[in-house]
Amino acid sequence: MNAATQAVGLGLARLETREKVLGRAQYIADLARPGMLHGAILGSPHAHARILGYDTAAARALPGVACVLTGDDLGDHRMGAFIKDEPPIAKGKARYVGEPVAVVAAEDEATARQAARLIEVRYEELPAVLSPEDGIAPDAPLVHEDLASYFKVFPAVCGGNVASETTIAEGDVEAALAAADIVVEGEYATAPQAHVAIEPCGALAEVDAGGRVTLWSANQSVFRVQANVCESLGLPMGRLRCLTPRVGGGFGNKMEAHVQPLVVALALATGRPVKLILNREEDFEIVRARHPFKVRMRTGARRDGTLVARDTEVLLDCGAYGDDSPGVLGYALLMSRGPYRIAHACAHGRLVYTNKLRFGAFRGFGNPQIAFAGETQIDRIAERLGMDPLDLRARNALRDGDRWFGGGEVLSNGLAQCIEGARAASGWTARRGAPNGLGAACAAHISGLLATGAIVRVLEDGSIVLNTGAVDIGQGSDTALAQICAEALKVPVERVSVASPDTDGSPYNWGTTASRVTYTTGRAVVAAAREVERKLREHAGEMLECSADDLELRWGGRIGLKGVPDKEISFLHVSLRAHWAAGGPIVGTNTLVFDRASVDPKRAVVTGLPFPRIGVFSFACTVADVAVDDVTGKAAVREAWSAVDVGKAINPGAVEGQMEGAFVQGMGFALTEEMVWDGGRLANPTLADYKVPTTLDSPHGIHTVIVEAPEPDGPFGAKGVGEIGIVTVPAAIANGIAAATGARLDRLPMTPERVLDAMTGGGDAS
Amino acid sequence: MTTQDVTLQINGRAHRLAVRLDTTLLTVLREGLALTGAKRGCNQGVCGACTVLLDGRPVRGCLTLAHDAEDRAITTIEGLGAEPNPVQAALAEAGAVQCGFCTPGMVMAATAFLRDHPAPSLEAVREGLSGNLCRCSGYRKVVEAVHRAGGGAP
Amino acid sequence: MTLLHKPATAAEAVRLLAADPDARPLAGGATLVAMMNADLARPSALVALRHVASLATISRAADGTSRIGAMRRHRETVHESDLRGAQRIVALAAARIANPTVRNMGTIGGSIAFADPAADYPAALVAADAVVEIVGPQGTRELTAEAFFVDWYATALRPGEIVAAVRLPPGPLGAVARYDKLVRVTGDFAIASVAVVAVVRDGAFAALRLAVGGCGPRPVRVAEAEALLVGARPGSPRIAEAAAALGAACDPVDDVRASAAYRRRVVPRMVAHALGTLLAPEARAA
Repeated sequence: MNAATQAVGLGLARLETREKVLGRAQYIADLARPGMLHGAILGSPHAHARILGYDTAAARALPGVACVLTGDDLGDHRMGAFIKDEPPIAKGKARYVGEPVAVVAAEDEATARQAARLIEVRYEELPAVLSPEDGIAPDAPLVHEDLASYFKVFPAVCGGNVASETTIAEGDVEAALAAADIVVEGEYATAPQAHVAIEPCGALAEVDAGGRVTLWSANQSVFRVQANVCESLGLPMGRLRCLTPRVGGGFGNKMEAHVQPLVVALALATGRPVKLILNREEDFEIVRARHPFKVRMRTGARRDGTLVARDTEVLLDCGAYGDDSPGVLGYALLMSRGPYRIAHACAHGRLVYTNKLRFGAFRGFGNPQIAFAGETQIDRIAERLGMDPLDLRARNALRDGDRWFGGGEVLSNGLAQCIEGARAASGWTARRGAPNGLGAACAAHISGLLATGAIVRVLEDGSIVLNTGAVDIGQGSDTALAQICAEALKVPVERVSVASPDTDGSPYNWGTTASRVTYTTGRAVVAAAREVERKLREHAGEMLECSADDLELRWGGRIGLKGVPDKEISFLHVSLRAHWAAGGPIVGTNTLVFDRASVDPKRAVVTGLPFPRIGVFSFACTVADVAVDDVTGKAAVREAWSAVDVGKAINPGAVEGQMEGAFVQGMGFALTEEMVWDGGRLANPTLADYKVPTTLDSPHGIHTVIVEAPEPDGPFGAKGVGEIGIVTVPAAIANGIAAATGARLDRLPMTPERVLDAMTGGGDAS
Repeated sequence: MTTQDVTLQINGRAHRLAVRLDTTLLTVLREGLALTGAKRGCNQGVCGACTVLLDGRPVRGCLTLAHDAEDRAITTIEGLGAEPNPVQAALAEAGAVQCGFCTPGMVMAATAFLRDHPAPSLEAVREGLSGNLCRCSGYRKVVEAVHRAGGGAP
Repeated sequence: MTLLHKPATAAEAVRLLAADPDARPLAGGATLVAMMNADLARPSALVALRHVASLATISRAADGTSRIGAMRRHRETVHESDLRGAQRIVALAAARIANPTVRNMGTIGGSIAFADPAADYPAALVAADAVVEIVGPQGTRELTAEAFFVDWYATALRPGEIVAAVRLPPGPLGAVARYDKLVRVTGDFAIASVAVVAVVRDGAFAALRLAVGGCGPRPVRVAEAEALLVGARPGSPRIAEAAAALGAACDPVDDVRASAAYRRRVVPRMVAHALGTLLAPEARAA
């Protein structure tokens, strides 16, 4: 693919930008249907309680109330991405504060909320499990008594409150640590982070006369919505059609179910459209959040700077339901060796049920937490050896032909270019001589996983409709996929329109998650476009009376005879023939499932890993320049450089947007964001109390360096960029704080309090 | 709860509605008048997605009671016009818009800011937009677009 | 029945409030409406103070005293050129409240009547030696800012009373103001704030008032520490001594912003830093 591209590589604004800047984009809360009811939720006041009974009479008697549902009204069905452990509404027990125990549909939202407050639920409070340490104690109360009988989609190692236990081991880590010249070790803790997509979660369901349901919702996958709702309500999948309006940001929180099952249940019960939009407090309390991690890690090195061993032990708070947690645990362990060649590595982790809201997918999927531990240890080794931290990383970086931890192949690797790119852009070498707050970190992240598809259709006038079922959550995948399609068919991007995801009409797409849409769906788009090209050439060959093999696509939607510039025919003419005379309308389709193994049993011993085939690798190196106020301990990022290997930037502007946004979200995770529990209750479920960075807290100088080490089977070489930019950020900032102050932090967020404690050894020194 | 009639001047047109005391301007716009450009992100005045202009100045639609907005000129993003203004055009051109949920509030805040601060510095733009949270962009392209729309020095 | 009253005079506003104990005054709405949205306040009626012209003015007396009407918005206070010398502390504090949009809404009267000790005005008003003018069913009265702020979210206002204005004395000649605020992110309420009004003459403090916010039920001021600082020069051990006294006088609690222990540690550091900066020659030049 050496020819100049005309669609791929353009920094186009998103296709839907105009409606967004004019305020005309429609999100879930903006939708309405005739006769629509509004839903409201009654949440559990207890972290762990047996439900003894309900009194819903007062709520039902309130004028305007159409329906009240509790666990008694719904069958015994459970959903879950990995472990089928979650009912659509609490049944028998409530397992966290805020868990829906009843739902109401009424003529307006205020009435619905008022009715929810009138429902009386009789509880028997049970002792709660509020930390994973509590959960593994010998006499811990059980969050799920029936765990053993739940269906699991992978060979889970589980029991008691342990939902999943995973091990990955290569080589002999204890012997290698014993033989190492230096070993650094530490314990690390990261805080739960809230996604805070500015759009809260919500859904709207409508039932037709035949009992078939149409469901719109804020989501990252119409197909996961369909699966979750149907599993949790016991519906055949054909009875539910899932659609999506514009989505106001999703960082993992909208991938699996939130309120969709409840809204469908209310619509089925009332026969009327029902809409339920969470308020911000509910969005904090009942959707999901980034897992808090406890990590114990040891890294060993030789005096010459060769890393030789890493041992990682992880304890993960699952929350009350499995959700994506087994995946997060497995993935974090797989990432625990970092993007380095370390011959001996072992990672073991346990995922423990607690009586808190479910933790789940959040940009980075466990990798930012594990990288915080790993990349601060790399810096400590550099410090001990007197080496430049970037030199140490470059020296140990995975090289061509090296395998990932577990044995998976790495077919493209731009890590060295990322390190050198960040080093050059930041002026690292010169600035490190003087007093500074420069910190660096490296990482890799995957893009891939599971099934996807594409349908490319040529309309009668020769224009193209692309239908993939991939939900654009604002990151720009509609635009990037249109660019890929346009490039493959050599038509201007404006000639390609993108169909909105629809479980009735779109090919399956697992979801907008795992940084996967550009890479996996892009592959399907290219393959489907190639099929369209083949059919176009076959038609054109018959029309031009030549062999299809002698024909080529020409820019602008034409097919011509190679070497004969004026012998050509337009897509319009080919498509008219196909529609009206011969062959039938031209459609190209492709589906695929990511099938490259991530584990090589000859190299690694692996148990309990939910993802045996995860994806291809993107790489990153981030440098942050951190200033620390020596009066208060408050740290702030002055400037940052983010270098990311994306294979090929399909849309460089959108790639920069991902890198910049990921940096600031990672900075919030590193410095300010922390969900705090007071007993079983979330103490700060508001934007007044949970603080995300504003313009003034974010450095304007976030400099992006795009590295392109093409993935052989990626669309035009592309791989994902959605998550990789956040993975390095907490560690880079922590290393910057250490450079500025000498203080090493092992806990996120690095609040003024914790930084000041680390700077002064916890004592008072004024 | 009882309602009382109120007349609101929205985008140059008078609307008479029966409204409860505790109903906010944001609710009236979105639910009473189907003007859904202003978004509800937090309903606590923190996120800024509901920003509208009251007598030309940006305020939180969610913290303004509909009854207290009587006799004041209310401008929503729908009232800026069918074609993009310079702020909207610059945001589009810069590729600053991602999910777009914060965008209407950002546009209203930025439009009023540039009217009051011609040719602002980058720092002034960052201060001017500090009441509008964006979780997608990291702000850099947003700030640059508004700065450019204002004709500020680079 | 009228849900939202629009009195034209303060007396009428007070009469309406006195007549209905469940009615609440509505100033800028930034706090009250947020509480209503969260179902933490359910007033039976509201008395909008926006139409009372006398509450919306600022004036400067011949002796240099500035009187800020209760309904002055934070934005107006930030840019108020009539606030000079020691009075600047109030403008500096106003500039740190929330963000520009909320500053278009919130008022000084509404803010101090809510009396969140982590808000910006309380410490600034105490440092400015401000007087709060109150109007109520029994007429008008005045309280010093120190007497006005009573406890967490509690003031000396009696039922039916509202804040009419805040009066700022001119302060000592040559006074300068400094407001330091430690926050998690911009616009948040303070973890701790330090408001200082000082006269520096010949490299030493000639006069000084200092208050700490966000570290207890009310602004913290220690008169003995201020007395100790008069005459103190850069590097004087009295600075650390005074800073420690302020820290010791704080009565903070653990909250989502920071622990009480951290506040006790950081207040002396912030106070010492503010004082040291005020004594530095470049600060005096500014």
